[in-house]
Amino acid sequence: MKGRLVLVAAAVGSLAAAGCSSSSSSSASSSGSASTASCVASIGFEGPITGPVAPLGTEQLHFAELAVSMDNAANHTKITVVQGDTQLQPAQATTVTQQFISNGSIMAVVGPAGSQEVEAVGGPMARAGMAFISGSATAVALTTGKYPTFFRVVSKDSVQGPEDANYIVHTLKPKALMIVDDQEAYSTGLVSAMVPVFQAAGIKVDHESVSQKVTDFSSLVAKVTPQTSVVVLPWQVAANAQQFGRDLAQEHKTAVIFGTDGLFSPGTFTISGSYVSSFGPDITAIPADAAIAQAAQSKYGSFGTFGPPVFAATHVVDEAIASVCKAGQTPSRANVLAAIKQTNESASILGQPISFDSNGDLNGGKFFLFKISSTGKYQLIPS
Amino acid sequence: MSIDSQGPQVGADEWVARQVHRREYLPSWLGGAQRATERIGWWPRLAIVGLIGAALPSLGLGGFQLQVGIDAMVIALLAVGLNVVVGWAGLLDLGYIAFFGFGAYGFALLSSDQLGSNGIHLPAYLSVPIVMAAAALLGLAVGLPSRRLIGDYLAIVTLFFGEAFVEFTNNVAPSKLGGPNGITGIDPIRGFSWQITTNAGYYYLLVIVLVVTMAVLRLLEHSRTGRAWRAVREDPLAAASMTIPVNRVKLAAFAGGAVVAALAGTIYAAQQASVFPTDFDTPILILIYAGLILGGAGSIAGAALGALVVMVIYDGLLRSPTEAGYLFYGLIMLTLLAKLRPWWRLAGVLAATVALGFAAHAIAKAIWASAVAGGPQSGGWIASALRDWVIVPAHAQTAGNWGFVILVCLLITLVQVSSRWRTILLPPTLCLASFVWETRLVEEPSVTRQLMIGAILIVMMNARPQGLLGQRRVEAPT
Amino acid sequence: MSFFFQELVNGITTGALYSLVALGFSMVYGVLKLLNFAHGDLYMVGGYIGFFIIQFFGGAAHVSIPVPLLLAIMFVVAAGLVGGLGVAMERFAYRPLRDAPRIAPLITAIGISFFLESAALLLFGAQYRVYNTAEFISLSSGIQIGSVTIDSVQIMVLVLGLVLMAGLRLLVNRTKLGKQMRAVAADREAAEMLGINVNFTIAATFFLGSALAGIAGVMGGLLFNQVTATIGFIAGLKAFTAAVVGGIGSIPGAMLGGLVIGVAESFVTGYISSTYSNLIVFGILIVVMLVRPSGLLGQVQLQKV
Repeated sequence: MKGRLVLVAAAVGSLAAAGCSSSSSSSASSSGSASTASCVASIGFEGPITGPVAPLGTEQLHFAELAVSMDNAANHTKITVVQGDTQLQPAQATTVTQQFISNGSIMAVVGPAGSQEVEAVGGPMARAGMAFISGSATAVALTTGKYPTFFRVVSKDSVQGPEDANYIVHTLKPKALMIVDDQEAYSTGLVSAMVPVFQAAGIKVDHESVSQKVTDFSSLVAKVTPQTSVVVLPWQVAANAQQFGRDLAQEHKTAVIFGTDGLFSPGTFTISGSYVSSFGPDITAIPADAAIAQAAQSKYGSFGTFGPPVFAATHVVDEAIASVCKAGQTPSRANVLAAIKQTNESASILGQPISFDSNGDLNGGKFFLFKISSTGKYQLIPS
Repeated sequence: MSIDSQGPQVGADEWVARQVHRREYLPSWLGGAQRATERIGWWPRLAIVGLIGAALPSLGLGGFQLQVGIDAMVIALLAVGLNVVVGWAGLLDLGYIAFFGFGAYGFALLSSDQLGSNGIHLPAYLSVPIVMAAAALLGLAVGLPSRRLIGDYLAIVTLFFGEAFVEFTNNVAPSKLGGPNGITGIDPIRGFSWQITTNAGYYYLLVIVLVVTMAVLRLLEHSRTGRAWRAVREDPLAAASMTIPVNRVKLAAFAGGAVVAALAGTIYAAQQASVFPTDFDTPILILIYAGLILGGAGSIAGAALGALVVMVIYDGLLRSPTEAGYLFYGLIMLTLLAKLRPWWRLAGVLAATVALGFAAHAIAKAIWASAVAGGPQSGGWIASALRDWVIVPAHAQTAGNWGFVILVCLLITLVQVSSRWRTILLPPTLCLASFVWETRLVEEPSVTRQLMIGAILIVMMNARPQGLLGQRRVEAPT
Repeated sequence: MSFFFQELVNGITTGALYSLVALGFSMVYGVLKLLNFAHGDLYMVGGYIGFFIIQFFGGAAHVSIPVPLLLAIMFVVAAGLVGGLGVAMERFAYRPLRDAPRIAPLITAIGISFFLESAALLLFGAQYRVYNTAEFISLSSGIQIGSVTIDSVQIMVLVLGLVLMAGLRLLVNRTKLGKQMRAVAADREAAEMLGINVNFTIAATFFLGSALAGIAGVMGGLLFNQVTATIGFIAGLKAFTAAVVGGIGSIPGAMLGGLVIGVAESFVTGYISSTYSNLIVFGILIVVMLVRPSGLLGQVQLQKV
């Protein structure tokens, strides 16, 4: 009896000692851990690593880690990625953000993925002076000056929506179309940008809405009339769009699918004849990105459109940290933020230069339009 | 078990009462501690816990710990409210999260620019009571089906209501309710000339609100309504025949739970400064239930404690790979300590594990250098302690995956076999567990967080089904 | 009119899928009075098993064995493995809680659900696994009545679903095991005193219910083309809804409940609105529950003091 007591006390005592020593060691590392000799810093990654859109978040995480490993090799830095899982919930994003803010070695954050999450964390990030770059938050309201430390490497809905809508109106010329949103902010934002363009052109618009959790579209597809020649799917989940396309074929509908970035997934969405508009190019088709695409493919398998922008965002942060170190300074949130503001890359994984305007938007964000061939390959439509 | 020194006096009420009394407590000195705390009395205990809670930030809690504390206390408040419906009145309410959302959205609409040209910006002492009153009415409305539905059928209707709330706020009237973009720019809690804007401020506010709510519910527990709830939970027909107005009592339970949830919602909305439909989806409900039942449904302190424990572990400790490692090894050690009965068996198993680990490591190193090339990935002192003990190959993913599957199979086998085989299988299982942790689980902290919370829930319910502070009850078979 | 029939066919097919999952759920509830919230994750495991079998035999585009044989193997292996998983779950997690208050196993089920989902993420990765059914079961191989198309996969789901449900009814009503199950469901202690091996019966019930969920998982993969770690949650929710709406504990009730939900979803999406379809379906179900408080085919419970 006494023996067990001693054992219990010893176990608890050692755990407590461990706990104390760990917290003291982490506080030690929080006091400026970089020296000019070796550039040591951390980058936080916020994304939906588990939860309903785990495939998206995991792809983003993988590309962030890839970028850091490649940049560490190129710049001789020692940057590490600290991951924080938000499950696409703004409340969890707030908690993760607080965790990152409290972690003194984190200089900047890549993410979060969703526009709602940016709204939730923008304030705390600004108060902490921590830069955060998103590779997928496209809501227009985010870059109105509310969040001075927010940047993004993708264009906003008010650019993508009308561009896509104009292409559809002028090139595809449908008499009637169906546009389906997936009840997420990304989707509804695009829909509200596109529908006015369609209506102004006199096209009959059937606006439907399904939750992202739905995987059976046969009932919706049955509503596609013979006059409907285009179905617009600004969705985040490519696999759902693939199923939609199958249902279209199975019910012998001739409408063509027009999708946005979420559908850009050469491994998953392969409905022949479909159009996909993406803020990111097909990096497997860009010669300069061959090494990255190869590395990503061999390590992580097929990828879609959400990974490369996060690679670009992480690369921006890596370069900012490296430039701070090269200037002989110790990386801090303030100087990394300043360096990010002055980012001016002439080339990037996205096939375009990267620099930010005063609100944090990407300057000159391009859109790429692809058409899927009968073999399932994505062919770039020259603009 | 221990026999009373006076010898059995079967038939004597006092002896029976003492035996029951003795079995309710944990064995040996833990039971003594339990009895001592009971002698203090409920109100002083609440005061002590409240003071400890209020004093914690001054021990040097950072922004992250304060945020975790705030999240935990919001869930604790919700659990305490859910306890009224589920623990006291015995009504399985699977839509409870909708009241939380209603409170949050109500506060958001009354304290932001959303409605009207400049929005409504009521101060907190007006908006919070309005929202709570409206939530009470909503609770009454949602409780109406309970007149006709019982048990799991009521559960499904409340579940529909919960899901309907999320759909409603996501899709209906987006210009007024914000749609998937939610409502942002919510005012903080504002009073006459003060407002709470920092995390520390919300932390203290929540401590006060939680303590006051628990006090009010304690008074309710010992009132006629509280007794009526417990009667309705145990046997509605018998309660009805004792002139308890069963329907009204059930409605009161719903309304009471709704009011507490709405209060939690208002504070949540103010602290987050934004609300979105996905904030009020089923995964949060699961956390509240886990906290309530883990802590002991039916007990106010249990509900709060369970929720705090679940949230601090899930939202706090498990988010950091180092601390998740401490939790992992710590829980294994604790289970061994608690379950392996003669101390010499425990020492034997531990010694065998250590020896086995070193032997396996040495053999693997001799055969295949790359088998041990990777180091243990945990942070802190554990990694250094384990470096020569655990095998971590350089390219670990497949090995780790197989190890995981084998580990789960081993654990299931351990439960089935006899005690002797269990002792023999324990050292390899422990080595394998450490292997899987260092090789695979530490690489994916976000996935491991979910794994650990699932495992903790399973093990804790197995160990103590009535919850930490719950009472063992016998339910009449239906 | 053909639109009506098309929606009806779609609704019945998805409804059959929901029914299968709801059946297993209802069976387990019947014997143990346990709401097994991890049931949906068994569906997910079945879906993954089906996917890996397709990969094992060469992938969707180059299947190396005849398609009917492939399907048979998928169903049998999924049923067996998922059934085994269900039995292990029962033995490991639910048996110790058999006499605990009803609400305790709820949390264990939630824990198992977390565990299974994250184990799938860990072992299989987060990316969607695509069945590509159209590669080995041609889209044009269905039947067409007027302008209503019924895919061969849909036909298979319907037929297999009906066969399984009929088989289950036969098993429960005519065989000795079924009698034991009904006895244990009615009164476990009395059944034990009468010499029925209660542990075996409960394990058998779990095996059957989980096997059904596994088969439903494969069917879901064939029908909806994709599996990922999180599909179990929605499936479990629908199963729970279907089982309760139909009358929990009743096998024909689970079948009817699933069909009702499938058809309601289909018609509301098609005729009223897709945006509010969930809301309206919930409304319909609430009305159904209020009109028939014990579910559609549930037995009115006698309340005794």
